Amino acid sequence: MPTSFIPILAVDVLGSVAMVVIALLSLYKARTLREMDPDNAVFLYLLWISVGFMIFAVSRSLGHILRQFLILSSNSDAWNAISAYTGSVNTVSFMLVGLITLFFNQSWNINEKIHSGRKKLEDTHIKLMDLNQTLEQKVIERTERLTSSEHKCRRIFEQSLDTIIVTDSKFTVLETNAAGIALTGYSRDDMIIKKMTINRFFAYPSEWERISEKIDSKEYILNEEAEFLKPDNESLLVLITGGVDYGAFGCAKSYHFIIKNVSEKRQMERQIAQADKLAALGELSAGVAHEINNPLGIILGYTQLLLKMEPDHKDDLKIIEKHVQNCKTVVSDLLSFSRKGSSEMGIVDINKVVDGVIKFLSNYPDFRNIEMTLNPHTGDRLNILGNEQELSQVIVNLVINACHAVEGKGKIDIATQKTGQNKILIMVKDDGKGIEKKNLSKIFDPFFTTKPVGQGTGLGLSVGYGIIKRHQGDISVKSSEGKGSVFTITLPSYRKENLSTTRGQL
Amino acid sequence: MAGVVLFPSNVFATQFHASAEGIITHQMGHLFFLFSMVVLIFTVTDKGLNVQKGWRLIQYSAFLFVLWNLDAVTAHFFDNQIHAVKIETISIWKMKIITNDDSPFLAWFYYILKLDHLLCVPAMLLLYKGLSNLVENQRQIRLQKER
Repeated sequence: MPTSFIPILAVDVLGSVAMVVIALLSLYKARTLREMDPDNAVFLYLLWISVGFMIFAVSRSLGHILRQFLILSSNSDAWNAISAYTGSVNTVSFMLVGLITLFFNQSWNINEKIHSGRKKLEDTHIKLMDLNQTLEQKVIERTERLTSSEHKCRRIFEQSLDTIIVTDSKFTVLETNAAGIALTGYSRDDMIIKKMTINRFFAYPSEWERISEKIDSKEYILNEEAEFLKPDNESLLVLITGGVDYGAFGCAKSYHFIIKNVSEKRQMERQIAQADKLAALGELSAGVAHEINNPLGIILGYTQLLLKMEPDHKDDLKIIEKHVQNCKTVVSDLLSFSRKGSSEMGIVDINKVVDGVIKFLSNYPDFRNIEMTLNPHTGDRLNILGNEQELSQVIVNLVINACHAVEGKGKIDIATQKTGQNKILIMVKDDGKGIEKKNLSKIFDPFFTTKPVGQGTGLGLSVGYGIIKRHQGDISVKSSEGKGSVFTITLPSYRKENLSTTRGQL
Repeated sequence: MAGVVLFPSNVFATQFHASAEGIITHQMGHLFFLFSMVVLIFTVTDKGLNVQKGWRLIQYSAFLFVLWNLDAVTAHFFDNQIHAVKIETISIWKMKIITNDDSPFLAWFYYILKLDHLLCVPAMLLLYKGLSNLVENQRQIRLQKER
């Protein structure tokens, strides 16, 4: 059947050219796609398939164009010779395309795995970032809390008014606070660098043995009382609380001690007890003295009457009179101690009184071998409101006692001072034998004496105590055996504005 | 056995290939190509990629390639396999389609089959359009990520 060749020729040639052009453009697009996401296996697949189509299009189109050209140029033989080759190349090319196409599933699976892996990696990365941020935040928070806690603990440790001492398992001091340095009297270097052990603070080794045994057995001690001895030999009464710390985070075992200085508290308690005791004794003495005073007056009156009426028994009556007078003195002393007596009050210059006492006593033979020194307060006058005679009596008594303490040979120092709180101090210090510790709490008791029978009534200090109390003052003693004693009288300084109140109280 | 050893004859070690093998191989190649395109169409659907315009266009391209392969296989069947059709080029304007039984229907059918570029060029164009669309999509995704 004859027919027009043009449509077939045109479609064949133009189609072949179009195939090549479009295949190249497709390859370009596939390459662009691949470059946009190099990790995408599907895009790689599309690139391969585009390459396959390009080979297919080029081989097929060239074959077709060549065929048309050779046939139309009457070279059919040449075409017949090469057609088998172009056909084979064409077959191979579209088989290649088909082969590549069948790899789509594998490419897809690979891509899915890559995507899944990447997604997991991203998720893990996000989680890690989140964890990292949370961790950082937690670390910041914990560090802040730790710093705050450490700061708080350090402040408590450093600012504590109680002594805190940390020791190792062998009780060697590792750390102490400022209060510890003040209490023990040892420097930080002495304690920490020189590796001092805690037992060195104790005045008596037996006390430390007792405490260390207790802490070893019970692992803690609570308010154990002990006496510390400072480097300057000052002793302190302390309460010790402590416990063992087995340590955390690899820290070694250590002991923590909290030590309170209770010396002043105990001293005050002793003074209160003493004052209470003396007050009770004063009441008793006043009652007894009052009851005895009247019969003694009658006995003395009748004795003096008989002396006039019975001159024959003069010697006997004189003895009676003398002893009654002695009894009256004792009763008077007792009344003085119990503060029941009355006396005239006036402005007294303490320095004058002390000066007078020294002048008066220095003439006595007992003071010949005694070196008496006076250290008076200089500057303004030490005026107080009181009874000069009574105050002289107290000071005389203290100086005589000091004379007895030094046993006729030694030093007696009398000093006067004025404190910032408007108090006047009179101190009588000797370097005698001192007072035994057990007697310290009794020396102001009426009739207490360490002198042999007949040499003292035991009323001197108790009368002095009563007089000083009546003057709104206080009397105290510090003594160490073999070193001497210091009696300190504290009296309120005279001020015009308190004259009326003081008079009222007296 | 001894006779075979003692009196040997010629043995043809390589197989002889008839010229028909070429067209059969070519036809199998077309069918393989067709099969791969069908697989591609179903795989794209199976993976849910056809929701994207680019992949849909690639599917259409594969479909046209399927048609093209059918066209080519049919044409080759008539002219190269059973030799039922033959073309004689008379001039650049005229040609003659010679069929075995002078069937005009077969001649016209073959004539249409010979216009196979009308299938493969659009198929190629759709592949290009599909790839272009995927490039554009990818560009949009990248822009969104950059924002």
